[in-house]
Amino acid sequence: MKLFRILKTLLIAFIAIVCFAPNAWGFCGFYVAKADTKLYNKASQVVIARDGSRTVLTMANDFQGDIKDFAIVVPVPVVLQQEQVHVGDPKIIERLDGFSAPRLVEYFDSNPCEVARPRLLMQASPRAAQALGDRAEESALGVTVEERFTVGEYDILILSAKESNGLETWLKLNGYRIPQGANQLLKPYIRQNMKFFVAKVNLEEFEKAGYQFLRPLMMAYESSKFMLPIRLGMINSTSEQDLIVYVLSPKGQTEVTNYRTVKVPSDAEIPVFVKNEFGDFYKSMFQTAYGREGKKATFLEYAWDMGSCDPCSAEPLTPEELKKAGVFWLNSDQSSNVFITRLHVRYTRDKFPEDLMFQETSNRESFQGRYILRHPFTGEIKCEAGQQYKRSLPARLEKEAQTLAQLTGWNIQDIRKKTNVAQTQEAFFWRNIWP
Amino acid sequence: MILQDARDYQILFLSLFLILGIGTRDWTLRPDLILVVMLTCLVTQWIAVSIWPNFKQNLFNLLPLQENRLRESDSCLANPLSRSLSLRSAMITALSLSLLLRADSYTTMVIAGSLAILSKFLFQASHKHFFNPANFGIISALILTPDAWVSPGQWGDDWLYALLFAGTGGMVLKRVGRWDTTAAFLGSYALLEAIRNIWLGWTWDVYWHRLMSGSLLLFALFMITDPRSIPNARSSRIVWATCIAVLTFILRNQFFVSTAVFWALFALAPLSILLDFIWSAPRFSWLETLPNVFSTSGENELSDANPVNIPKHEF
Repeated sequence: MKLFRILKTLLIAFIAIVCFAPNAWGFCGFYVAKADTKLYNKASQVVIARDGSRTVLTMANDFQGDIKDFAIVVPVPVVLQQEQVHVGDPKIIERLDGFSAPRLVEYFDSNPCEVARPRLLMQASPRAAQALGDRAEESALGVTVEERFTVGEYDILILSAKESNGLETWLKLNGYRIPQGANQLLKPYIRQNMKFFVAKVNLEEFEKAGYQFLRPLMMAYESSKFMLPIRLGMINSTSEQDLIVYVLSPKGQTEVTNYRTVKVPSDAEIPVFVKNEFGDFYKSMFQTAYGREGKKATFLEYAWDMGSCDPCSAEPLTPEELKKAGVFWLNSDQSSNVFITRLHVRYTRDKFPEDLMFQETSNRESFQGRYILRHPFTGEIKCEAGQQYKRSLPARLEKEAQTLAQLTGWNIQDIRKKTNVAQTQEAFFWRNIWP
Repeated sequence: MILQDARDYQILFLSLFLILGIGTRDWTLRPDLILVVMLTCLVTQWIAVSIWPNFKQNLFNLLPLQENRLRESDSCLANPLSRSLSLRSAMITALSLSLLLRADSYTTMVIAGSLAILSKFLFQASHKHFFNPANFGIISALILTPDAWVSPGQWGDDWLYALLFAGTGGMVLKRVGRWDTTAAFLGSYALLEAIRNIWLGWTWDVYWHRLMSGSLLLFALFMITDPRSIPNARSSRIVWATCIAVLTFILRNQFFVSTAVFWALFALAPLSILLDFIWSAPRFSWLETLPNVFSTSGENELSDANPVNIPKHEF
C-alpha cells in the first residue's frame, strides 16, 4: 500500500515535470533587426577560438586617434614567435557580431476568421558606430625583449620583465606613453610569469598597404589559462566599459567561472513600435538587466551551434570564415563541431576587480536574445471568432506595454501613448492603398 | 521525529538553496534532471541497503573468520528504521548533486547518482565510507561522461548569500559538531590566498572577490563537513581540511582547474583512513544527534549496552 502511494506520488511528479519542461519548439519567427555592437560607443570585441588548451585570440581594433599614437600592451601567458601572430580580417568580427546579435522578430496575426497562415516583412536597419580597444602601456629595466617582429602593419614586441618599475621605465624610454598607476597593475602579471605583447603601428607598412583602419590582431598560443585580462583596461577609467567576447569551441557553451553568467532577458513580446527604435530598446533593456544583477554579472547573449540559426540574423559563417576567425579544429567537411558563445560584459573597476576566467562546458543548449513583435490583424473581421479576437486585443497590447516597461524601465504612460499611435496608424484603411 | 535529525535540517537548507538558485540566480536547471537524480539516488540506496548485507555475507562466507562479525551488522541493516533513515542521506546526496552538477543527458545524472550512492558501499575502510558521496558522483560524472560540468560562478559573490550559507551551515555544524573542519579549511585557504594576493600585489578587493564565491562557501559549509565520511578525531579533521585547502589552492592557481575544490576533496578522501588510524576517535553516528533516542551528545561513542536496537552500520 505504501509502495503504491510512493509510486503514485512519483507519477504525479513526473507528469508535472514533463508538463513544465521547456518547449523545444520555442524558437521560430522571422528576423527583422539586430542589436549588434554598433550600438555601443566603445565596445571592445574579442574572439577566442579554443580547443583544449590551444587558443587563437583575436582582438578587434577600433582605435580612433592618430595611428602613430596607437600602442597596445596585453599580458599573454607565453612568449609568442612571429608565426604565432597574424593580422586578421575585420570583416570576420563583423560577421560574428551580425550572426550572434540579439534580434527582433515580427509576426502578423492572421485573419482570425481564417486558418492560420503566418506572413512576414521588413528589415529594420541597425545603427552606426564602432568596436574594440584595449589600451595600456608600461616600461622597465630587467626587461627582456623575447621577440621582435613585424606582422602586417604592426610592430610587435614580446617582453618579459622582472619587476614592474623596470617594465614601466623601459616602455617610457622606448616612447610608449603609459597611464599613471599602470605600474601597480603590471606587477601581478609579471609575478604570474606572464609576458607582455606590445604592438604599435608600423607607419611605413600601414601607408604602403593603404589601409583605412587598423585590422584585428590575432595570436595563437597554448596555455591552460583561459582568461581575459581586463584590469589593465581599467587603469584610468571608472566608467562602464563594454566587452563582447565571442568564444568558438568544439564542445558547447563557455561560461565565466569567477562571475555569474546570466542570460539576457529574451523571448519577450513587446509593442510593435519598438521596430523603429530597436537599438534604443536593447540598450535600455541591457542597462536595466545589468542594474538588476547588481552590475556584477556577465551576460549571455547568444549560444548556438555554428551550423545553423533560427531565425538567422545573418548567414552562418562558412568554414573559410570560421578559419579566419581562428577555428583550427575544423574537419574537412562540415562545421558542425563549432559552438559559438557570445558574452556581453559591462564592467567597472569596483564591480569587476578580477580578470575574467572562463571554462568550456558541454552545455549545448541553444540560446538567443530574441524579441517578438506581433502585429494585430487589421483587415475586415466578420465572424464571431473575429469579434472575440478584437475584444482580446487591448489586454494583449497592455501586456506588451507592461513587459516593455518592465524590461527597459521606460515610462509606461509614454509606452501606452506610443502603442496607441502605432495602432491607429496601422488601422487606417487608406494606408492599405496609400501607405 | 521531523527536524530532530541534523539531516532534516540539511535537507531543508539544501532544498532552500535549490529553490533560491533557480528562482534568483538564473540557473538553467532542468527539473527533469533533478527528478532523475533524486530517483536514482533513492532507488540505488534502497536496493543497496536491501541486498548489500546478503551480498556481503556471501562474499565473506568464503572467509569464515569474518563471519560472526558480519552477522551482527547485517541484522542492523535489515532494520526498517535504519533503511528509512538512510534514505535521508540519499536525499542529501541527490540535493547536493542537483545543486552542483550540470549535465545534458539523463544517463549522466543516473551515472552520477548511482555511483555516488554505491561509493558508500564499495569504498569502505573498517565499516566507514571515506568518499563524500556527492563529491564522488560529481567526479565520476566529470571523468566518465562527456557532458557533465560544474558551474563555479553560479552563486556569484554576494554578501547576502555568504551570510545565508554561513547561518544555515552554522546551524547544521552545531548539531553535528564539525565546525572545526570548516574553520580549518576556510582559514587555511584564506591565508594562502592572502599570501598570494600580497605577493602578486593585487588590491584587496580581488582577494575578497575570490573568497566570497558562493560556491566555495557552500562547499566549505556543506560538503567537506559530512560527518560520516570525514576523519573522526578533531586533530585529524583539522589536518585533513588543511590538506584539502592546500591542494585546492595549488590546483586552482597553478593548474587553473576551475573545479579545484572537488578534485582536492576527491583526491584526499582516502587520507581520512590513514588519519583515523593515527588518531582514533569514535565514529560519527547520525543517531547521536537525536535527543529523543539518546541522551548522548558530542562525540561520545554509543554504548553497546544501550537497550535500544541501534543500527550500527547505517549508510
